Amino acid sequence: MRKKFWRCFICNDIHYGLKPPEICPTCLAKNAYVEISSKEAETISRRSETTMDRGAFRRAIEKFCEKNEFQVCPDESKVQTLFDGIFANEENHGLKYCPCRLVTKDFEEDLKLVCPCNFIAHETYQGKPDGECWCGLFIRRRK
Amino acid sequence: MSRLIMFHARECPHCKAMMPLVDRLEKEEKLVFERLEVWHDEKNADLMRSYRPDIAPKCGGQLRTPTFFNPGTKDVLCGEVPYEKLREWALQQRSS
Repeated sequence: MRKKFWRCFICNDIHYGLKPPEICPTCLAKNAYVEISSKEAETISRRSETTMDRGAFRRAIEKFCEKNEFQVCPDESKVQTLFDGIFANEENHGLKYCPCRLVTKDFEEDLKLVCPCNFIAHETYQGKPDGECWCGLFIRRRK
Repeated sequence: MSRLIMFHARECPHCKAMMPLVDRLEKEEKLVFERLEVWHDEKNADLMRSYRPDIAPKCGGQLRTPTFFNPGTKDVLCGEVPYEKLREWALQQRSS
């Protein structure tokens, strides 16, 4: 099934998914989403165009970790090397692909490589007390 | 002597960590690895992708770096590994 775009008719929140949220997370209106085209979604999104430099990306992943069982790797030089790769990949290949894996050129498949990826399902993390994502940017939170 | 390839990426910390081990192995065992960078060289990337059916099943279903690969035998060693493991793998390739 293909994901679609949906717009809250009250506050213009945009959702991308198989089905719309029952309650709008922004304005809390119920059953407020209507399907729209990708072009409409792009036009609306462009109004709040944002850039994400290394500092903003760092803050975003720290926030992402806050309520999860993992943390950003404490080895700062490793993190900076990975950021070099992540941002080079965004510049050269369009998305923040993991610098320790290679894109296949199958877009759906390659979405699995965008950082942060779904590393909790990977063999390098799952069930391991010292688990980490393949590149090592995220590690299981140390007790 | 088999052709041995190390697929690596410039900003991959595991690849950086493996480089001195590869240097040591080449010196000690008189081996040569063809070191092919895959994120900044599309030709190398395409070569790695062409071996996806051989590499991916042994690397978590994906093309990961570093990957040590013997195109002759299709043998694969994937990831940051201790020196002895790399050496054992490489010597197996020499005898195969």
